[in-house]
Amino acid sequence: MKPPRSRLLTSGLLLCVVLGGGCSPADNRLQQFQILALGTLIDISLWDVETGQADRVRQELEQQLHQWHHDWHGWQPGPLRDINQALANNQPARLSAEQQQLFNQAILLASRSDHLFNPAIGQLVALWGFHDDAPAGPPPAQAARQQLVQANPRMTDLVIDNNQLRSTNPAVQLDFGAFAKGVAIDRAIDYLKTQGIQHAIVNAGGDLRAIGRHGERLWRIGIRHPRQAGVVAALETQGDESVFTSGDYERNYQYEGQRYHHILDPGTGTPAHGALSVTVIHNEAATADAAATALFVAGPQHWRRIARQMGIELAMLIDEQLTVYMTPAMAQRLTLEQELKTVISE
Amino acid sequence: MMTRADRFMLAGAIGLLIWLYASLWGSHLAGESARLRVGNQPSVDVPLNENHRYTLSGPRGDSIIEVSQGRIRFIESPCQGKQCIHSGWLQRDGEFTACIPNRISITVRGRDPRFDTINF
Repeated sequence: MKPPRSRLLTSGLLLCVVLGGGCSPADNRLQQFQILALGTLIDISLWDVETGQADRVRQELEQQLHQWHHDWHGWQPGPLRDINQALANNQPARLSAEQQQLFNQAILLASRSDHLFNPAIGQLVALWGFHDDAPAGPPPAQAARQQLVQANPRMTDLVIDNNQLRSTNPAVQLDFGAFAKGVAIDRAIDYLKTQGIQHAIVNAGGDLRAIGRHGERLWRIGIRHPRQAGVVAALETQGDESVFTSGDYERNYQYEGQRYHHILDPGTGTPAHGALSVTVIHNEAATADAAATALFVAGPQHWRRIARQMGIELAMLIDEQLTVYMTPAMAQRLTLEQELKTVISE
Repeated sequence: MMTRADRFMLAGAIGLLIWLYASLWGSHLAGESARLRVGNQPSVDVPLNENHRYTLSGPRGDSIIEVSQGRIRFIESPCQGKQCIHSGWLQRDGEFTACIPNRISITVRGRDPRFDTINF
C-alpha cells in the first residue's frame, strides 16, 4: 500500500527544513575585483550589482584611479611635481578648482593636528629614501635632518590667492602620501554612488571606506595585528564609514639591525616612536587618512588631544607594549581578538 | 504510523543534518583555502589540505609560499624586513599576511569567511 501523500510531504518538508538550515545558496550577489593603482592593490567589493555593471565600474574606476595617481604624485611627472618645482623656485603655481579645494582641506587638517599631519615635509621624506620603490639605508645624517626640521615647513606656509599658490617658506615640498589615498577612496565611493551602487567596500592597500551592507548583515572588517599574523580586532561598519590604519610595519627598512619606518615626526625629523599602529574610523576617508598619521606621530602621550582637535571620536592606538588605547566610542564598536591590556581614554 | 518511506526520509534527513553540522560548524575556525593575490592579477584560491609549494612572481622577484598540513606561510620573499616570513604559519579563517613590497598577500578563508576585508 502506498503511504499517504501527506506523510511523504511531511517527511519531504523536514528534509527541506534541514537543507534550508544548513545550506545557503552560493554568494553570487557579491562581485569582487582588484585594481593596481595609487602604488598599491585596491580591492573592491560590490553587493547586489550585476556582472555587466561591475565590469563597467571596474574599467571606469581603473581609469579614474590611474589619473588620480598621476595628478597627485609629488615626485613623478605630473601636476603636483610641477607645483613642487614652482615652490622650490619661489614661483607661484596656478591651481585648478579641485586642487584649491583639496589644498584647503589639507591645510585645515594639518592645522587641527598641530602639524603632525604635515604634507609639507616632502624633502624630509625624500631624505629618508621613502620616495624610492625599495627604500634602504643608511638613514640620513643628523645634520641634514636637523636642517630640514629647523626650516619648519608647514601647510600654513602656503598662501592661496586668486587661484595662485605660493609659499612663504622655500622648504615646503608637498607629499600627499597620508592624504591622497583617502581622497581617492572618497572619490571612488562618490563615483559608485553616482552609479546607483549602495553597498560596496573600496580597500586601497589596507585602508578602506565601506557603504551599505552585505545583504542582510553589515560589512565585517578585520584590523590587522601590528606584530602577528591575523587580526587584532573586528568591527562592523555602519552605513558609510572609512577605516584607516597607520602602522610602523607598512613601509620600512632595516639598517644595521635597526628598523626605520616611513611615518616621520616633523618635530624630530625621525620615524615617530611610541605607537605600533593607529586605527581611525570617520565617515570621510581623507580625514581618516590624515588623522591616522597625525595620531601615530602624536603617540600614546598626545593622541587623545589631537583626536579631539581633529574631531575624531573613533580611534585606537596600540603602543610598543601592545597596550590598546581606545576612545570610549571605539571601545563600543571594536571586538578585540586577543586579551590585551586596554585603556579607555576619555 | 511511519511507513518505510517516511523512515527512509527521516534517517536521510538526520544523517544530512549531522554531516552539515560537522562540515559547516565543527571546523569553523579552521581555514579551508587561502586566497593568494599578486598585484592586480586575479586572485587564486589554493586548498590547504594539499601540501604544496607555490612560487609567485611579484615586482621585486619571486616569493615562495608553502602549504603543509592545513597551514600556509611565506618561506622566501625578496623584501627587506621579511615581515611576511616572520608572520609564520597561518591556518585560521581570516588570518592574513602580505609582502607589501612584492605586492603578494595571503588570506586564509573558511567556508564562512569571518571578514569581508582586512584593514592594515
